Amino acid sequence: MASNFTLSMKAVDDVVVLVPKGYINDLGAVRIEQASEQYFDKGTRKFIINFADMYFINSIGASVITGIVNKNLEREAVLCFTNMKKMHRDVFEMLGITKHVRVFREEGDALIFLHEGE
Amino acid sequence: MERKTDLTRLLFSISSLADLGQEVSSAKDVEEKMRSALYVVTGMFSVPRAALLAYTPRRRCMEVLAGKGVDAAPDIRLCVDAVHLKSFPMNELVACDDLAGSPLYERNREAFRRLGTKTFVPLFAKNECVGALSLGKRLSRNAYLRSEKDALKAAAHQLAITLQNARLFLKLSEKVAENKRLYENMRQIYLDTIQAFAAAIDFKDDYTKNHSLRVATYAAAVAGDLGWQEKDIEAIYIAGLLHDIGKIVIDSGIINKRDELTTRERDVIRTHPQVSYSILSKIRFPWKNVVQFIRHHHERIDGGGYPDSLSEGELSEGAKILNLADAFDAMVTDRPYRDRLTLEEAFREIRRCRGTQFDGRISDVFCDLLRKEMDGDVMQARILPQLRKIGALQLEPAGTLYEA
Ligand SMILES: [Fe+2]
Repeated sequence: MASNFTLSMKAVDDVVVLVPKGYINDLGAVRIEQASEQYFDKGTRKFIINFADMYFINSIGASVITGIVNKNLEREAVLCFTNMKKMHRDVFEMLGITKHVRVFREEGDALIFLHEGE
Repeated sequence: MERKTDLTRLLFSISSLADLGQEVSSAKDVEEKMRSALYVVTGMFSVPRAALLAYTPRRRCMEVLAGKGVDAAPDIRLCVDAVHLKSFPMNELVACDDLAGSPLYERNREAFRRLGTKTFVPLFAKNECVGALSLGKRLSRNAYLRSEKDALKAAAHQLAITLQNARLFLKLSEKVAENKRLYENMRQIYLDTIQAFAAAIDFKDDYTKNHSLRVATYAAAVAGDLGWQEKDIEAIYIAGLLHDIGKIVIDSGIINKRDELTTRERDVIRTHPQVSYSILSKIRFPWKNVVQFIRHHHERIDGGGYPDSLSEGELSEGAKILNLADAFDAMVTDRPYRDRLTLEEAFREIRRCRGTQFDGRISDVFCDLLRKEMDGDVMQARILPQLRKIGALQLEPAGTLYEA
């Protein structure tokens, strides 16, 4: 399967925003996990995954997200999901993932939350 | 609300099983395939830590073939007896609570802890255990629903078949690798034996120590320069080593005679290519044309050679190369009846016999190659070291080589 997956990352102050794009196959999966791992190691404890550019979550994609969520739980980091489509929400809810993350409509909302606290 | 989730779950399961089918039937190698498959399964059930283990009956253990969240511990293995496996349902999940207390669990308590196993799925293909799937805690913290158990069973079945195919493939690859090793060993033994034979041939002749080895080396160098394939180069090398094997049956007195040979003696000597051929044609060489090259190493392109008086068009390139290599070595080494030629004289001799005894193109290639070796224009000189060993280079003033 050719990879048509890209992952862009940006740091906004102490928050890291991951923006996955395309269809996650296993190659992309490894990259996204490694990327978040690096930030964990550097001490980042606030993450946003912006799903605006992802149309479809397949099982491999769900597996990657599961891994990241779990690491966040283990290290008591805060993870926000933003810009989810209905399909994303349905799948993540069904998988029991959303109960471990904060969900926001827009990336900006999550940034405000992470910067100011509740 | 429940119905909506059920529908989402059903659609997700169906699409995941389709993903799994695609991953396991892809052209990726086994490990990559298994890692993808594991990602699919862990994604289906939101399991962050999981491992796919392959069972090796010979070693009676299961080893991690692909892991997720357990990567740091690739050395984990489960000791498994066939009797353990019989107590498990095929491709169905066994919850950790049910696993605890079983002989399998008791024996591998530490490994299960390191794997973080909460659910264990023995993988069976055609009633044969091929491995297992270890799944950790689910993010949802929920127990598996009936429909999820069914989906897991379908996925497990798919994984089991893939593992079994991989195992067959691995066995086949191991066999191929083993055969290759055997062949290489055999080839080396063969070469060593032939080398020993060649030494025995040369030993008979006081004057031609290592003649066969040098002829083999020169011929292989020319064949290489002509762009021959590796296997064919090896063939002409072997032919060079064995070309004079027929001399073994000829009286040493004739071979080492200092005076001019009588007609009868010359006729006896001239039987050697044919005798070599007779001896060697019974051997099933792994190389093509070895015996033909040998039979014709004293033929000339003008048809004046022996034993078959073949002419240019009837002679193979290999026979022509061998002929030149043999003649050149005779020129630059001492013989019972004459002293050696200098390199310059040998070049002149090759030029003189070009088109009558020797093939024109092969003469040119040989002389060019030697000139390049002397000028240091080749990666690895092959002719030169042999000439150095027999002291043929000390006789040469620089810049006197034959210009074709
Ligand atoms: Fe000969």
